[in-house]
Amino acid sequence: MWLPVVGLILGVVLGFLFSVEIPLGYVKYTAIAILAAIDTILGGLRAQVEDRFDLSIFLSGFVVNAAFAALLAGIGDLLGLDIYLGAVIAFSIRIFDNVGFIRRDVITHYLKHGR
Amino acid sequence: MADAGSPRVQVERPLLWRPSMAVLLACIGFLVVTQVHNVWRIRRTLRIPSTQLEELAFSLRNQERNRAALETQVAELRARLADYEKAAAESRTSAAGVNRQLQDLRALVGLTALEGPGLVVTLNDSTRPPKAGEDPNKTILHYSDIAGVVAELWAAGAEAIAVNGERIVTSTGINCVGTTILCNTKRMAPPYVITAIGDPRRLGQYLRRPGGSLEMLAAFDFPVRLTPYPRVDVPPYRGTFHFEYAGVNEKE
Repeated sequence: MWLPVVGLILGVVLGFLFSVEIPLGYVKYTAIAILAAIDTILGGLRAQVEDRFDLSIFLSGFVVNAAFAALLAGIGDLLGLDIYLGAVIAFSIRIFDNVGFIRRDVITHYLKHGR
Repeated sequence: MADAGSPRVQVERPLLWRPSMAVLLACIGFLVVTQVHNVWRIRRTLRIPSTQLEELAFSLRNQERNRAALETQVAELRARLADYEKAAAESRTSAAGVNRQLQDLRALVGLTALEGPGLVVTLNDSTRPPKAGEDPNKTILHYSDIAGVVAELWAAGAEAIAVNGERIVTSTGINCVGTTILCNTKRMAPPYVITAIGDPRRLGQYLRRPGGSLEMLAAFDFPVRLTPYPRVDVPPYRGTFHFEYAGVNEKE
């Protein structure tokens, strides 16, 4: 259980050590990448709780979702339309969905355990 | 089959789950820290939220264009100053000759105030109120009326002309935008006072000739006044001359 926490701490430390400067126009791309990563994490957590975790689905979901969101944001930049907001909303909805499912799974798990 | 496979999968899952989660969480940690760093940096240096960056970029581009224009102007002025200094350093006689030539050219181009006998033409919008149903355009002066009078003054031999204090030079256009008349890109309003230097009698005769534009204006009840003066002042051109596309043809 400690390995993911170690990973998170390692990422934060790396972020502080190498303060990468993002060009002004690309700030929203990294924001979308963060949302895609959080979405994937929660999806993976939910799959793990529901005992159907699959590494290939987990990783491909992250890569493809992030790439597609970046593509949408790029097209939005070309069209002068904030299409990336669509990706932001979709990711946010999925994140809330997954949090809800995880909550339900955990509650039923502990209630079963208690009984 | 599921029962037989499950123990193996149970062993394999944590091995896959934890490292991949750890890697992704490392990604998230790195990205979040970087993003927060950058957003703070933007907010600190620009004092605006990052969502307004595009407006800022737009005004920045405008300012850069303005600055480039000003820089070329500075370069031009410096070059001219260098020329002057060189001329001052040269012998006084040749400097005087060059200077006289320069003054003549400046007067011809319209960069110096001129004075001399001349004619002042005053035009105004029609005093007659427009009749019901009549096009009000027929009672106000148009840029073409002003341009017509100016053209006739040149044709009559005027040597310098100004409209409402705006000198007519080689690049002057008399035009209109909406309801205002533009001359040298300056907005004008009636009454239009056209000052011309030249033989007052000849200028007046030419303007009053039958079929001239003043006769037309008078026929439409526009108040037209011609006043000859023994001395009129024509102000210098205050704008700039700028060739962006044109260059001197060396073959001529």
